[in-house]
Amino acid sequence: MNKLIITVLAKDRPGIIAHVTQVLFALECNLENVNQMILQDQFAGFFLVESPLSLDKDSLQATLDDQTKDTGLVIHVNDLDENNGSAMDGKGDIFLITTIGPDQKGLVARFSAIIARHHGNIINLKAVFKGGPDPRNNVMSYQVWVTPDLDSATMFADLRTKATELGLDIRIQHKNIFDAINKI
Amino acid sequence: MFEDHEIISTIEMVKNEHLDVRAVTLGVNLFDCISHDLGTFRHNIRKKILTHAASLKSVCDEVGDKYGIQVVNKRISISPIALVGAAFSSDQMVEIAHELNDIAKTVDIDFIGGFSALVEKGMATGDLALIAALPRALAQTERVCASVNVATTKAGINMDAVLQMSRAIKQAAALTSDADGLACAKLCVFANIPEDMPFMAGAYLGVGVADAVINVGVSGPGVVKRAIERHLENGPMTLGNIAEVIKRTACKVTRVGELIGREVAKNLDVRFGVVDLSLAPTPTVGDSIGEIFQALGLSHIGVPGSTAALAMLNDAVKKGGAFASSHVGGLSGAFIPVSEDLNIAHAAHQGYLSLEKLEALTSVCSVGLDMVPVPGDITEETLAGIIADEMAIGMINAKTTACRIIPVPGKKAGESVYFGGLLGEAKIMAVPHMMETNAFMRYGGRIPAPIHSLKN
Repeated sequence: MNKLIITVLAKDRPGIIAHVTQVLFALECNLENVNQMILQDQFAGFFLVESPLSLDKDSLQATLDDQTKDTGLVIHVNDLDENNGSAMDGKGDIFLITTIGPDQKGLVARFSAIIARHHGNIINLKAVFKGGPDPRNNVMSYQVWVTPDLDSATMFADLRTKATELGLDIRIQHKNIFDAINKI
Repeated sequence: MFEDHEIISTIEMVKNEHLDVRAVTLGVNLFDCISHDLGTFRHNIRKKILTHAASLKSVCDEVGDKYGIQVVNKRISISPIALVGAAFSSDQMVEIAHELNDIAKTVDIDFIGGFSALVEKGMATGDLALIAALPRALAQTERVCASVNVATTKAGINMDAVLQMSRAIKQAAALTSDADGLACAKLCVFANIPEDMPFMAGAYLGVGVADAVINVGVSGPGVVKRAIERHLENGPMTLGNIAEVIKRTACKVTRVGELIGREVAKNLDVRFGVVDLSLAPTPTVGDSIGEIFQALGLSHIGVPGSTAALAMLNDAVKKGGAFASSHVGGLSGAFIPVSEDLNIAHAAHQGYLSLEKLEALTSVCSVGLDMVPVPGDITEETLAGIIADEMAIGMINAKTTACRIIPVPGKKAGESVYFGGLLGEAKIMAVPHMMETNAFMRYGGRIPAPIHSLKN
């Protein structure tokens, strides 16, 4: 069996997942993991499948392109290399870095650059900037995988300095506090 | 993966609703420090406490920083000095208090509790020495807290001890007259004192507890108040629904406390004891029990309906705590300290909350007459009578009650008193009939335990 990762992008509408999975079913692909999100009106889906040995990524890409033409779906198929492991293998902790404050150009670029410079791995990012007084409408939240070999104190200090420069409120908290309060 | 509202609400609880860990208290057993020689005893207790507590503050700060939740107070509770120091005289007890005060400064904690005696059924030599030492010990030190348990549901009320404590409180106030009787703010008289309480001034380490243990006191009146307000903003609610909101909020707050407490205990390599979810206010606006009453629709704490509201609040807090953790202990309920809660202090000053109503409230909450300033010329008998009444509520209802009353030297009802910091400020409360003769308090002996204590 081959393991393949399929990404699907499109303007959101009913039937996208049904359309893609029917094609995969017909090709005897076994869905292992699916995730999707809607960003404003844009759909993004990720399908991790096991395909028959006779079906390589190029064949699957060609079939999906053919079966979804004129639907507006942008599909990309890639091999999944299982040997490299996850960036989150081994010891580490997840910290949530949340900034609250009005939108400015380059916010994500500036904060993610600091995290990258310290080799922190952003495993989830949410950013909402709608303006107004409600903090829910002006929030960025990074979930960052922090390994023991990383100088987290300096990284957090750099992030706090940048937030102060930009006039943003920043909170850096271990994930477990959010679990304790919200995952009952 | 967390939803936006989960992230924001968590941050709001910390940032705007004053959620914090009010106290991480390291309990240290001192029974293996006992000696007949005072020098040896002082050396032993210093060595034992420093062994466990040297890094208490730094560990609490590190863990608090990791989770973005401030550990406001780091404290130590110890085995009752009246027991482990039973061989010493009252003068020597004062020296022990100085040693404890110096240890507290060395490890940079604000209070050390356990200058205590358990005398509900009678006073032994060490107990008498400790009670005699209390006024000087508290007046001459800043960080030593004391408690004396004079009643239990199983033993009844030791009325000799009640009168002695009344005398000790008056003497402690007199010795700190230049600070409005501040020494009394570090002294609690208890019925049914919990042996695992992290909150001061009553914290001590029970004799049946491990060699070293971390107990955590979480607060959160601001979080509870905002939760009630938020739900009421969305439309009318029944009291059952409001109680459910309080319960769920208390559950969340308790889980935070246990998370922090367990990590501190792990890093200090000591056992985790309990989390005490008590709604403990501070003089800060938005961090008040009194404001919860107003969120519930009462004009002020003390007006009719207050006892019912407090009963519901206290019960919901306990249920939320019990759901969150299998190791809930201490007091776990609502505190109603007068000077420490700006809103309660105002209600008392404006006449909504009298001493009698305060006593009634204590029958349904987790503590008692707490941080209550009274006129300095209150008689020993009247003060003892107030203490005895409060102890009776605890004894009969099989619950903890306590008195932390400050007879402010040279001041009358209505005058201002300022203690500073978390101890706050207030107007002195009126005590009706306080100059009348009270022979009842002079009989002495013990009020027998109630019939429902006969359970064996």
